[in-house]
Amino acid sequence: MSEPVRVFLYALITALATGLGTLPFAFVRGVPGAATAWANAVASGLMLGASFGLVAEGTHYGAWQTVLGAMLGVGFILLTQRVVGRYNVRVGDVSGRSAQRMLLVIVVMTVHSFSEGVAVGVAFGGGMALATAITIAIAVHNIPEGLAITAVMRPRGASLVACAWWSVFSSLPQPVMAVPAFLFVEAVRPALPYGIGFAAGAMVYMVLVELLPEAYDQARRAPVALTVSLTLVAMVLFQQYL
Amino acid sequence: MPTNPTLAVLTYSGLAGLCAGLAAIPVAIRARLPSSWLGWANAVAAGLMLGVAYVLIAAGLTQTPALGAAGAALGIGFLFWTHGLAGTHDLDLNRLGDTAPDYGYQIVLVNTVHTAPEGIAIGVAMMLNPSLGGFTALAIAVHNVPEVAVLAAVLHSRGLTLARAVGAAAATRVSQVLFAVTTLAVASAAPVLLPWALGVAVGALLYLIMAELLPHCYRQAGHTSIALVALLAMGMVVLLVGMP
Repeated sequence: MSEPVRVFLYALITALATGLGTLPFAFVRGVPGAATAWANAVASGLMLGASFGLVAEGTHYGAWQTVLGAMLGVGFILLTQRVVGRYNVRVGDVSGRSAQRMLLVIVVMTVHSFSEGVAVGVAFGGGMALATAITIAIAVHNIPEGLAITAVMRPRGASLVACAWWSVFSSLPQPVMAVPAFLFVEAVRPALPYGIGFAAGAMVYMVLVELLPEAYDQARRAPVALTVSLTLVAMVLFQQYL
Repeated sequence: MPTNPTLAVLTYSGLAGLCAGLAAIPVAIRARLPSSWLGWANAVAAGLMLGVAYVLIAAGLTQTPALGAAGAALGIGFLFWTHGLAGTHDLDLNRLGDTAPDYGYQIVLVNTVHTAPEGIAIGVAMMLNPSLGGFTALAIAVHNVPEVAVLAAVLHSRGLTLARAVGAAAATRVSQVLFAVTTLAVASAAPVLLPWALGVAVGALLYLIMAELLPHCYRQAGHTSIALVALLAMGMVVLLVGMP
């Protein structure tokens, strides 16, 4: 098997792992309305924790570039919000404001996978010896991202299959981007901090502008704060051991 | 620049506390601050604190993740628990014009308790590396201005004179200095405690951002402006510390 094909297959496995994030929701019957607040809080913690990890990696390559990338990411979400707000969006059986939120989360997570895919490709570029370890690490790291997407979609009425599919979909840019990044490591490396910053900025902005305000609307702030901060710390811990 | 770390922490956190006096400017300009100003002030504070939490995580917690996370859980749990005991989970810290007698004491007390983890953050950052300590103190100093301005505006609206309102609000920063110096002293005497102190600071900062600062913001100004202001403030901290 040629190396680019292997990179693609490994990155594809990591994308499929994202679907596993839907699994916990298979055991929860009939999601109650108030669950939106909890699910938002969990998704916020996961996304903020993931962004902290990304920023730490990005500043390793260059702080200015990472922050600049983050500002571009925010601009991108502002633009997407405008566009999405203009149409009557349907995701599965859901339409209206809920569907817009779902779509926005899917877009944010998918976009963030592009830069992750590049990071994977560059990591493989460091030598195929570490390939298996990297694949397992990224695959496991993708599961909470699937969890974050499902946490936003499921309480708003999306089916489990839809949640799993969109989770996997959000990671598909990983195999697609990993191969060219692997082939042209030297050319891609300088762009990496911008991409990583872009992903982090988009996620933090999404959390601040959509997920947290909605959570505070629907639940008391103490339990929301407890959930967000504990999830964030758990996500940081999780990333450290993988 | 002081070479003695204790003196440095005292100087830095003391200066950070004194910066709070700048809060008199906005409160003097507008007798009654518009609520959107309070929202943006809170958002700046939230963004800077989120940046400090990130810096502590990236610089220290990742070295001893398990202990740090345990400390963070402790910090989060402690604040949740004490607020529960005091019955202040849902206390609105930004009520302009409220003249109920105990409200003034309550918000001053809550603010005093809240500056403690910020002091721990300065002390811990100083232990990790002196320049990190300086940057952290700077971020906290800047964040003191909007936070004290909000408190001073509320106190001023209760009928306190400008000088007294700002004075009382700025006095809540004393615990920052106390905890900064104490943390440094304890952590240099017993370095085993450093990961715990770091975790406690991270957890407490995160909890305060999520429980106090952000929820108030969203009721005072539009979501988009709040998110942008907080993100810019956080980006400043990342830039400041990311510089070689």
